[in-house]
Amino acid sequence: MTINNVSSAQLSTALLPAVRRAQSQLSTLETESAMGQYADLGLQLGPQSGYELSLRTQDDLLQTLTNANGIVATNLSTAQTALSSIVSSAQTAAQSLTQSSATTGAGAILQSLGQTNLQQLISLANTTAGGSYVFGGQNTQTAALDDYYAQPSSTAKSAVDAAFQSYFGFSAAASQVASITSTQMQGFLSGPFAAQFESPNWGSYWSNASSANTSSQIGADDVIETSTNTNGAGFRQLAQGYAMLSEFGAIGLDSGAQQALTSAASSVINQGVSSITTTQSQLGLAQSKITQANSAMSSQMTLLQSELDRTDNVDPAHIATELTTLSTQLEMAYQLTSQIHNLNLAQYLPS
Amino acid sequence: MTLSSAFNIIDTSFSAIAKQSSTIATNIANANTPSYSRQVANLGTTAYDGVTVYSVIREANVALAAQLNSTTADSAAQTAISNGLATLAQTVSDSATSTSTTGSLQNGASPYAQLANFSAAIATFEAQPESDSAAQAAVAAAQSVASSLDAGARTVTQVRTQADQQIAGAVGTVNSLLNQFTSVNSSVMSGLASGSDVGSLQDQRDSLVTQIAQQIGVTTTVNTNGSMSIFTDSGVPLFESAPSQLTFTASGTLGPNQSGNAVSVNGTPITGPSSNMPIQSGAIAGLAQLRDSIAPQYQAQLDQIAGNLMTAFQETDQSTTATGLPTLPGLFTTPGAASTPSSPNWTGLANALVVNPSVDPTQGGNAFLIRDGGVSDASNLNYTYNATGDAGYTGRLQQLVSTLQAPMGFSTNAGLATTDSISAYAASSVSWLQGANERASGNATYQSSLLSSASSALSNATGVNLDTELTNMLTIESSYTASAKLVTTVTSMLNSLVSAI
Repeated sequence: MTINNVSSAQLSTALLPAVRRAQSQLSTLETESAMGQYADLGLQLGPQSGYELSLRTQDDLLQTLTNANGIVATNLSTAQTALSSIVSSAQTAAQSLTQSSATTGAGAILQSLGQTNLQQLISLANTTAGGSYVFGGQNTQTAALDDYYAQPSSTAKSAVDAAFQSYFGFSAAASQVASITSTQMQGFLSGPFAAQFESPNWGSYWSNASSANTSSQIGADDVIETSTNTNGAGFRQLAQGYAMLSEFGAIGLDSGAQQALTSAASSVINQGVSSITTTQSQLGLAQSKITQANSAMSSQMTLLQSELDRTDNVDPAHIATELTTLSTQLEMAYQLTSQIHNLNLAQYLPS
Repeated sequence: MTLSSAFNIIDTSFSAIAKQSSTIATNIANANTPSYSRQVANLGTTAYDGVTVYSVIREANVALAAQLNSTTADSAAQTAISNGLATLAQTVSDSATSTSTTGSLQNGASPYAQLANFSAAIATFEAQPESDSAAQAAVAAAQSVASSLDAGARTVTQVRTQADQQIAGAVGTVNSLLNQFTSVNSSVMSGLASGSDVGSLQDQRDSLVTQIAQQIGVTTTVNTNGSMSIFTDSGVPLFESAPSQLTFTASGTLGPNQSGNAVSVNGTPITGPSSNMPIQSGAIAGLAQLRDSIAPQYQAQLDQIAGNLMTAFQETDQSTTATGLPTLPGLFTTPGAASTPSSPNWTGLANALVVNPSVDPTQGGNAFLIRDGGVSDASNLNYTYNATGDAGYTGRLQQLVSTLQAPMGFSTNAGLATTDSISAYAASSVSWLQGANERASGNATYQSSLLSSASSALSNATGVNLDTELTNMLTIESSYTASAKLVTTVTSMLNSLVSAI
């Protein structure tokens, strides 16, 4: 008797746990089908959670680096644009120099050529991107070059005047300048004047930039230099050439000395152009490294995303099938419960 | 045989039928009473060919009842552990809700997610070393790391304190159940001695044992005099002719350095490291395991992360002349700390870790000290890494970025890898916790289905089937009809006899 005995209490409640389980599964499945992802990923992945998290972090870190590279790339392309303008105006200036030497009144033209270009050079050297000076090296918070034409006269200009005074014994405004020979002029320009554009004078009177360039992490473990600074040869040479013209182009030198001045200016400006071009190609290298790093990181992120999709996402077809199966099961359970309740001898006994 | 003896026999039949129907009525009445054991009336013949109910037997099943008790205890232990782990797992809840979109970790509260955010903030700061907002974002991210470690550690404290209080509650429950058991048990014994019906008392006693098994795993034996003895699953007597007294003192809040008290039975500890006979199952065993080993292990992992963070951001003497200044705690420190404690003294560090106020602008600090160095002591230039003071200096930040990825040493006590990067260690900690959570949840589900099958097995073996009872009732009804018919027949025979005289 007891072998086959089923207690009525047990019989009527037998399907309850099944119904309860099916209902809880149903709510989980509904969430999963709505989100396309496991309802409780931690519970689903268990010990794999850390792995999944590290995938997400890696993805996040790569995204951060890509965003940071965007800032660096903006700085670099700002610098490149500025350098291109510097190069093109320097080339124009060098061209004008060869043409203007024969013309009457050339002195004034030379002077203004020098001044305009020097002003432009200084303003371009002080280009900012996102609030930081792109040619400042690591010193991104101070203007790279001081204004040469500032009033009262800048330290750089005073130093140049002093150098002239001490070399020739009279100032550039004095009438004796007409007596300066071409050899003397060459001696001055390549000696005390050129020294103004070398260390330490350059750093003391002209440039506030740091000679150390900024460096940035552009990839997972790739640190590169990502700027240049106004202490480079290009800036110094161009400033030297322009300052030469601006200071001494129209002081009334005789034709020999004027010729020496023009050819010296033309020579340093051409050197400057070639130095700046070298810098441009260095920055271009950094830019292409960033592009490469970005594309490497982007393909890595695609991989990570697909791996994340694999771990996190549920198969919609699978969910749909399970949902159908579960609802069928639930319906059957309900029907069975009501039928079991009808299977009661009391219902069949004559009253 | 005389006609009058026929009356006597029919009379015994009526009283047997009455007894049988009363048994059936009791069975039907208790059809839905859990733990009720079906009663069966045993019939036998009397010396004068009559019928009588010799005994009413309780259809108990000792083996299945013991099985029910042990699964009840196992299930209670696993449920307690699983609930505790589920609470702990909330501290890493960001791994539970997947969000594959980038930047989503910002919403994560786990130490791991906050560390990832912090690494990203330092990397962003490194790309814009002159940016005030990037510097402040790095400080804010560092503060989130410290507070997530603190939140994790506080959850550990909360889980342990709750477990401690639940143990206290469970001990009280067991003591009161043991007192009830004592009186029911003695009623059973005296009932057996006087030969009265003790079926319902025995049901009550079994149900008390199952309730005790919820709290402590038990085994039982029934002595010849009908008295039941209860032992814990480790063999410590809970009731042997007299109830044992369970003692336990709740500790209040259980901080990282405090261990809770053991539960004792008559002075013998049954939980904790001091116990020679630790209980294996029941809610108390599960809660004790949660309080004494699982939660403290998570605390140890958080402490290891905190300790290594403090170590990683230390600042060393940067002066060119060897002044031999000590290494000082940097970005991550504890209030008033002059040095980073050594690894064995990291217990509770997760609670104490803070971001150095010297970098917090809201406390008058300077966020750029992260870039320049001198977090430990801004006035002492020997700890300044950025010697030139340039805003574009990234040397220290690059150093920090690589330190965060460099392998560090971790204690074996925390149960994870001993050499790993801080971030990877935090990820392992999440894996450990979610793994334990998954296992506990699986075990709890498994044990609860075992429990439901054990209780249905017991219910099927000893429970009431209404159809069976109704069928028996019909049988009795027929036999009553037959007996009644017999009475009328014998009466009419007697009447015929009398009228014939």
